[in-house]
Amino acid sequence: MTFQEVLEKIKAKFSSITVPEPSPVKGYSTAKLSAKEDLFPLMKMLKEDLGFDYLDFVTAVDWKGPVDPKGYIMDPNPNPFLPEGATPQSMPEAPTPGFPYRENFEVVYALTNLKERIKIFVRLEIPRSGAAVDSVVSLWKTADWQEREVFDLLGVIFTNHPNLKKILTPDFIAGHPLRKDYAHVKDQYD
Amino acid sequence: MSRTSMTEKVELANPQERTTSNELKTDTMFVNVGPQHPSTHGVLRLGLTLSGEYIVKAEPEIGYLHRGTEKLCEVRGYHHCVVVTDRWDYVSAMPNNLVFCLAAEKLMNLEIPARANYLRVIMCELNRIASHLLFFGTYGIDIGAYTPFLHAFREREMVLDLFEMVSGARMTYNYIRLGGVMADLPGGWVEKCKEFLGYFKQRLPEYDDLLTYNPIFMDRTKNVGLISAELATNWGLSGPTLRGSGVAYDARKADPYCVYDKLDFNVCVGEKGSCWDRYFVRVREMAESIKIVEQCLDALPAGDIMAKGVAKMPKPAPGEAYAHVEGSRGDLGIYLVSDGGFNPYRMHVRAPSFINLSILQEVLVGLKVADFIAVLGSTDIVLGEVDR
Amino acid sequence: MGVKIERFPGGDYILTTADFMANWARESSLWPLTFGLACCAIEMMGAYASRFDFDRFGVIPRPSPRQADVMIIAGTVVKKMAEPIYRIYHQMPEPKFVISMGSCANCGGPYYDSYSVVKGVDKIIPVDIYIAGCPPRPEALQYAVIKLQEKIRRLKPTQSNATPDQEKGSRTW
Repeated sequence: MTFQEVLEKIKAKFSSITVPEPSPVKGYSTAKLSAKEDLFPLMKMLKEDLGFDYLDFVTAVDWKGPVDPKGYIMDPNPNPFLPEGATPQSMPEAPTPGFPYRENFEVVYALTNLKERIKIFVRLEIPRSGAAVDSVVSLWKTADWQEREVFDLLGVIFTNHPNLKKILTPDFIAGHPLRKDYAHVKDQYD
Repeated sequence: MSRTSMTEKVELANPQERTTSNELKTDTMFVNVGPQHPSTHGVLRLGLTLSGEYIVKAEPEIGYLHRGTEKLCEVRGYHHCVVVTDRWDYVSAMPNNLVFCLAAEKLMNLEIPARANYLRVIMCELNRIASHLLFFGTYGIDIGAYTPFLHAFREREMVLDLFEMVSGARMTYNYIRLGGVMADLPGGWVEKCKEFLGYFKQRLPEYDDLLTYNPIFMDRTKNVGLISAELATNWGLSGPTLRGSGVAYDARKADPYCVYDKLDFNVCVGEKGSCWDRYFVRVREMAESIKIVEQCLDALPAGDIMAKGVAKMPKPAPGEAYAHVEGSRGDLGIYLVSDGGFNPYRMHVRAPSFINLSILQEVLVGLKVADFIAVLGSTDIVLGEVDR
Repeated sequence: MGVKIERFPGGDYILTTADFMANWARESSLWPLTFGLACCAIEMMGAYASRFDFDRFGVIPRPSPRQADVMIIAGTVVKKMAEPIYRIYHQMPEPKFVISMGSCANCGGPYYDSYSVVKGVDKIIPVDIYIAGCPPRPEALQYAVIKLQEKIRRLKPTQSNATPDQEKGSRTW
């Protein structure tokens, strides 16, 4: 089964899925979903009918804009050789003009068919407030910890996840650090 | 509860119920294998609920080395991010550098010169040897054999000497850069490398004598921690942990990068998915790495080591890229998003140790406490990659 | 501080101070706690291994804090790990020493602006010796142990029970 056949079968069953040309991820094909309800049926079809039995990763991208410097703990002037008030070297650049920043999260899945050696990316954009997606733990158990990580760092809720709680950050960090507008609250170790 | 043999998995009824009148009421005990422990390979915490000597529930808790590198890379330039990548899988740092450079070069559409590609492959395979030597030594210590550690480190120091000659550092090299490699091989390096490979080939049968076919080692690892192939693919395992269960998935063959499609080597595969199989795959992979390095040294072309036109502060066009390599721990991947600025907009690391560790929740149930150390050691995790 | 040993003629007796004997015993068998956190732990393991043998200094790794003299903080101190480090430090019996190995443990290191890294382990426990490097070579760690031995030689155990730093304390919270 080649790539084209996989994409044809997907497009035949789900009309709302688009396959952008050229693929946003260079070198691999992508299926872009527009409806949240299609995610779990599509994943089920990919796993059971089309043989994608290996989930590479689950992650999410925050498309809000360049990251807020308040999320980092910066010493006002860490480099004693710089004059007072000089900007530190590692700061996010100004937003690129013309780039489509939007208030969305985009959840990205990468699936592999081990026998045929094909990889496909599945993307879904969800609005930032109240971000919730169906969990795919019942299909691939590897999504267990990876979805917990996305929840911990970005705040996307995965419904039907058996154990959705923090995994990487300590308990006293209340926000979701990888969000672009995360402002760090000073705690006892700073 | 019936136990037929000492090494079989046990089906446990609810230990707190009194099932028949002549059975004792038992209770479970919670044991914390804490962040500071000589056998957890770093700062990993496991909350084990035990019924006697058998594990009823295992909850790994991680995050004790979470440094927030995914967020840090959003304010570092692309060249500066390479420094951060070294410190994920710190035992074998070259593949980490390589995977980030491959992803960034895909974004920038850079063409890498042939000599740089061969050097990258040589360094990654030597690093695989060094990493598997460390695994061999520390796994021996976990099981209780303290001598092979010293043998392994004697050879590992020779590999680190080679790396120090070429990059200046013993562990966090920052050698593979955007566009190629940092510096060319110094005079005499190829001869020294061939001398090391000749010496090392004679050491491999010694390791077999010390651990692989040692009856005590085999008793402790042969039927322990069995992971079937379906379970392994469902849990997303990769690297020797997956290949020990019989699934022949190796990123060097499935999605070749650098010059791996021109090289001739085998993918080592285990049979049953026990701890011994995973260990055996790693020991045999060292022999395959020797073959690869010898082929590369013979075919090493002359030429540039760095592509032309890599800016000091690169600004790739907006886009996304995914690159994955076969690191020593498994399938290491980087998903890089750029919005046209000097910093990556989003970088996600597909960390093999993080995913390999998650299977412990399922595999440890029903094992004895002594066996769980064997299983944990055989997954060969590095906490820098688990927590990033 | 000079070594005060007098050898009596005949060779059977020597005369020295109690301080010297206590310090000599403590410095010659420093047993560190195996507390590798991150990359520096691998260099620490290299220091124990075949090439840079640590046993010749009398240094043997101990897994339990109750049996250890010195704690080598090798690696990044993350905020989640800060409390366990504090508890383990207080589980060690006196006299105890701390060696901070690597730039992450000294001052936060390459993660100086991260939200989840403690900028130096001396914000939590008092430190005796700092080693620079990322990671420091095993020889640097051995040199740090030599410097710690020199520091121990200057102590006066018969007069107080704590090292000079522990009397003052360098904790900020």
